[in-house]
Amino acid sequence: MVPLENYLALSAIVFALGVYGVLARRNAVMILMSVELMLNAVNINFVAFAAYLDPGRIVGAIFAVFIITVAAAEVGLALAIVIRLFRNRATANVDEAATMKW
Amino acid sequence: MATEVIWWIFALGIIALSAGVVFSRSVIHSAIFLIGSLAGVGVMFVILTVEFLALTQFLIYGGAVTVLVLLALMLTRADPSGRAEKVNGPQAPFALLAGIGVAAVLLVAALSTEWAGNTESPTNIAIEAISQRLFEDFGLPFILASVLLLVALVGAIIVARQEEGE
Repeated sequence: MVPLENYLALSAIVFALGVYGVLARRNAVMILMSVELMLNAVNINFVAFAAYLDPGRIVGAIFAVFIITVAAAEVGLALAIVIRLFRNRATANVDEAATMKW
Repeated sequence: MATEVIWWIFALGIIALSAGVVFSRSVIHSAIFLIGSLAGVGVMFVILTVEFLALTQFLIYGGAVTVLVLLALMLTRADPSGRAEKVNGPQAPFALLAGIGVAAVLLVAALSTEWAGNTESPTNIAIEAISQRLFEDFGLPFILASVLLLVALVGAIIVARQEEGE
């Protein structure tokens, strides 16, 4: 069987890729996609911990359910804001919308 | 043995597709890589024998979230002619450094810790167990999460709505 450490290593690599994407990208939708990668890396960790170390209480699996819920709410609201930004500024790049002035 | 082979195929696939998401020059390609990566995470949940979360992953991420992202990309096309635009800011090299640093810290921390308990094989988490925990012990957070989802979606409609005189 696959040991727990494999899941932790996979999750760490995917999370680091998400960190790079969030910091490097200019397009707001691309940044959101990188955030989704990071949330999924965290979910792998939570579910792996629940299935390996905590099968009696499974708090990790419950946490993953809530993370998926909040991520869905976050992505819906953030994409609405991106569409609003694009309508007002004709750009979806975050570095061109840095003034907080409408 | 077979599980390990499948695990490695999907793990390397997830890493490659995630790298595609953050390194691809085209937003549409990034979104398509993202679909594959999220589906791969769903397969990971299947290998972990947590079927409920695998189903949720396929439905919500593979279906709803990726469709939302693709629609947002379609609606925010700055240049329909497809002119190549700079996708990374000038901070990209430092972002790469930060990513490598995060990966190093997380890998060292995860691999050097002695985890207490069974780290050899996963225990099946049945759907009944998840529902029992969710509705009996986490009932209030569950209701709050549903209220949060409702408020966020109503807010999204109001933010994205076309107003009079716009």
